[in-house]
Amino acid sequence: MKNAENKSYQIFKTAHSNIYSMKIKVRFWSYFSDLTGCKQTSIEVDQGITLGQLHEKVCDKFLELKAAKNSTLKVVNVDYQDSNFVLSDGDEVSLFPPVQGG
Amino acid sequence: MKIELNISTELINEIALCKHQTISEKAGAVVTFSGIVRAQEGESQISAINYESFDEMAEHQFKLIFSEINERWPIESIRLIHRIGIVKVNEASLWVEVISCHRKEAFAACQYLINEMKSRVPIWKKIINK
Repeated sequence: MKNAENKSYQIFKTAHSNIYSMKIKVRFWSYFSDLTGCKQTSIEVDQGITLGQLHEKVCDKFLELKAAKNSTLKVVNVDYQDSNFVLSDGDEVSLFPPVQGG
Repeated sequence: MKIELNISTELINEIALCKHQTISEKAGAVVTFSGIVRAQEGESQISAINYESFDEMAEHQFKLIFSEINERWPIESIRLIHRIGIVKVNEASLWVEVISCHRKEAFAACQYLINEMKSRVPIWKKIINK
């Protein structure tokens, strides 16, 4: 196990199986933080979860995000990723609407 | 290719920026672009825009775009400033300078940079109505 001091996640073995779960930090940007009422949350997931599956869990937790689900941009750390991307320990996910710089 | 990138809450001072311009003897084109906050956004009259940025990712995405430009065109330098926080009507939210030997690549790179920024760099607007 990596040094957890500087990580935003925890990993631990469940009592009855070899499946490990981890806590993934999810950040909300732009009006998504208004919809959820928070800038970030953490979600406990099984190892091997994809970004798309995590997004589903987030939408189940914050129903207000469901309407924008198809246009949501998904980022792992600082790079855009598609729904099939498999999350790893320590990944930080960001969800936000289309960008509007300039 | 020389790069200067600044995501800042400070006013964009174009005169000061031009004073600090550095051009080699090979350069033959300087393209600059200023993006200004308009008084009308859609149907609404507005007083300002509050820009929010995911800074760490914005810098990373800008660097990826600069790298792509460097591979496509012979550009001498790029300077880019994007303001965040509250930007009032008539103030610049964005300033870009592209320097190259010839105008064709300078215009093309500037256009590419702004187009890519608008689709990839995580900066958002929040309208402040009058």
